[in-house]
Amino acid sequence: MKTDFKPLILSALMALALISSVQAALPIEQLDSFHGAKGYLVQTKTLPMLDIEISIDAGSRYDPSAKSGLASLTGALLNKGIRSSKGALTEDQIADQVADLGADLSVGVTGERALIRIRCLSRSDIRDRAVGLARQILSNPSYEPAVLNREKQRISAGLLEAETKPDFVLERRFKKAVYGDYPLGNAMTVKSIAALTASELKQFHQQFYRSDRVIVSMVGDISRAEAQEMMQTLVKDLPATGSAIPPLPELFRSPIESTADREIQIPFDSQQAHIAMGMTAIARNNPDYFPLMVGNYALGGGGFVSRLMNEVREKRGLAYSAFSYFAPGQDNGIFQAGLQTKNDQASMALDVMTETIAQFIAKGPTQSELDAAKANLANGFPLRIDNNRKLLDNVSSIAWNGLPLNTLDTWTEQVNAVTRDQIETAFQKYLAMDRMKIVVLGAKQ
Amino acid sequence: MRHYLQLLFFGFLFTSPFALGASPQSSNDTHEYFLSNGLKLIIREDHRAPTVAHMVWYRAGSMDEFNGTTGVAHVLEHMMFKGTDKVKAGEFSRLVAAEGGRENAFTTRDYTAFFQQVEKTKLNKVMELEADRMVHLNFDDAEFAKEIQVVMEERRLRTEDNPDSLLNESLMATAFMSSPYRHPVIGWMNDLINMKASDARQWYQYWYAPNNATVVISGDVDPEKTYRLVEKYYGGIQAHALPVRKPQIEPEQKGVKQVHVKAPADGAQLVMVWKVPRLQPDGINNDEPYALELLAAVLDGYDNARLNRTLVKQERLADNVDAQYDMISRGPALFIVGVDLAKGKTVAQAEAGIRKTLAEVADKGVLDSELKRIQIRLLSNQVYKRDSIFGQAMEIGGFEMAGFSWKDLDTVLERMQKITPAQVQAVAKKYLVDTTLTIAILDPQARQSTKAEAQK
Repeated sequence: MKTDFKPLILSALMALALISSVQAALPIEQLDSFHGAKGYLVQTKTLPMLDIEISIDAGSRYDPSAKSGLASLTGALLNKGIRSSKGALTEDQIADQVADLGADLSVGVTGERALIRIRCLSRSDIRDRAVGLARQILSNPSYEPAVLNREKQRISAGLLEAETKPDFVLERRFKKAVYGDYPLGNAMTVKSIAALTASELKQFHQQFYRSDRVIVSMVGDISRAEAQEMMQTLVKDLPATGSAIPPLPELFRSPIESTADREIQIPFDSQQAHIAMGMTAIARNNPDYFPLMVGNYALGGGGFVSRLMNEVREKRGLAYSAFSYFAPGQDNGIFQAGLQTKNDQASMALDVMTETIAQFIAKGPTQSELDAAKANLANGFPLRIDNNRKLLDNVSSIAWNGLPLNTLDTWTEQVNAVTRDQIETAFQKYLAMDRMKIVVLGAKQ
Repeated sequence: MRHYLQLLFFGFLFTSPFALGASPQSSNDTHEYFLSNGLKLIIREDHRAPTVAHMVWYRAGSMDEFNGTTGVAHVLEHMMFKGTDKVKAGEFSRLVAAEGGRENAFTTRDYTAFFQQVEKTKLNKVMELEADRMVHLNFDDAEFAKEIQVVMEERRLRTEDNPDSLLNESLMATAFMSSPYRHPVIGWMNDLINMKASDARQWYQYWYAPNNATVVISGDVDPEKTYRLVEKYYGGIQAHALPVRKPQIEPEQKGVKQVHVKAPADGAQLVMVWKVPRLQPDGINNDEPYALELLAAVLDGYDNARLNRTLVKQERLADNVDAQYDMISRGPALFIVGVDLAKGKTVAQAEAGIRKTLAEVADKGVLDSELKRIQIRLLSNQVYKRDSIFGQAMEIGGFEMAGFSWKDLDTVLERMQKITPAQVQAVAKKYLVDTTLTIAILDPQARQSTKAEAQK
């Protein structure tokens, strides 16, 4: 297997070295599935290091109502103590071992997935120890009540602190407005955290941390055979399957509503008003992804060259930043636009933002905006894959969203194929001003 | 974790307790040139991918400002996007974007830097643009009037509505009486309100010159060809005399200073900073700064480091801890320890806890195994660092701006590997003393308009 891929990689490397405008990415290899787990690898031989991301389908969207924070805490405690028939390690011992390896190991939970990330040298003794540790963390977290209590205190303190910050309060209210009763609308609270018990965390772990819900993505200086073995090691102590998990509720398109029903004012004694506007949009595997992504570059994703930034900041000096983005995932993600401005300018800024987005939905980009967007995205493609970390992000996203393995090879082509009509049609299909939730936080003038 | 030493960025933040170190083959793949106009050029070859980072570093930051026009270095950074004779306002970003480039700029106390990242055949285009604005910047008063509003919004966003920043601002202004490090990089609001376009133009005329600049290029480039490109675009720019930099040395501190800041927040914070030596370009063999770097890492360099272990996990005095020291700077260095207090704990208890943890190091020293752990981390970081073309240029530029040569990076790494537990203990004992200590306390105030929604 190893030698089979060598010529491919050599030719890819030579292509990268010799032809300046080449936009081919290194190939993503799919590993053999093991106990239902999937594995993907990009071999990069130039640095003696390895990056691994383990995605588990155990994100916050599975939080039962009134138990917001369950998925997050279940993930957060993975590396804070392990216990199995083979032995136990305290959180201090885990941390010391990671440090002694010169490795990075982090855990985190997003709306869709729990993530374990590892970066280590690819030397076999080091990576074997790092992978061994990760396997135990993934499979045998001990959920010590004392540690759980402490983490609950820390998270609660963090939540109360965040409560005093305008951006956090805005974001939470906006998410609630857009997601409604879908689980991602409910953020964890001091109360919901306080009620969580160690046995609930264990139960959540048992239910969701199964090898058939795991994807392992790897980028670095290892062979396919080595990657295959490591992927198997990582998941082999997990149960391969389990009882059926009830399907998630459907995330509906944001409804048409009157302005009064769509708009939320939050009094807040900050110097700036913070504004968010948006609605539910698309999943990543939606065929309209490219028209929306390219269009959004022109609208509010392209930094200084985007229309929102131009209208709000460059022409009027109203804000330091103004932006828009789509956040598509396995689920329908949202479209969101935002800015911050001094309180007495809030309604003016909201008008400019509304007008800018409305006009874009109605008429799409101009030809020159579309050309500029394509030029940036296509010419800038090499910057999306020019190191191991970025490659890992791409591999993991492709795997998680079930995209074709040649997605990086066709990316530029797909960008270049987008037309003004497609953008206009797609924006009108998925966005509508009378469906946009608007949250304005600040001192009312 | 919070960042007490303020860096102002257009778009991103970076921090690392190990912001230093050498690349394994740094002498073979790094090339240095001087142009006759005084411009320094450093090229780091990295052929892993067909991209390149192009950065221009000007040795002028907020420490070169004077009272009344604080923030002008950062304001000029903004104005650099407002046009030249050839490139009208806003066009710079559009032209870079058309090449598929990513660009930004940042100002710190020590320097101002501008960068573009592009596919390698686009390097000449962005270089032409960057060289053009080194000498032909030409913004009008109307552009300035709009942009200073944007900068004030930036200050509202990052400082006025941010208790961490407010605390940091007061901390720096208290720790330093005379050093320009006492001023925030973004400037005091009153100075921004009274800033004139002429202040920014004068700043540009003073400091933006090839003899005050270093160009750093990293990525998939041929050094000789790239050097000729730099000659072509930057070579014709005239050097001019730079203003005399007066030393502005901070007077010796004679005892503990303290500042309380009331700001909207939920929990109290405590920050303790000590004045400590920094690494001097002519004193690269002085071990004390290296020992201080390692001390900061022993305290907060990994998950189970001492501050987190004792204050967060064992004694529950704090919810978060932070220790920082950066030995590479133009101005005076600080050793910083900060904590977010746990609920129900007093500032006095937290201070006692920090003092106890530090006293343990000073009295009993650190373990060999602790230090080894940090040193292994420094070595593996040398490999990890090579993963980012941009990061390599950042490291070189930051080092050069503080008066060092990129060639010193190897020496620094070597010396860090040789520091002993006794040396770490010695600097803890010698420098973390009350005569140079400043304490800043965030006294949290309820926001009148919100009622603990998180408690629902």
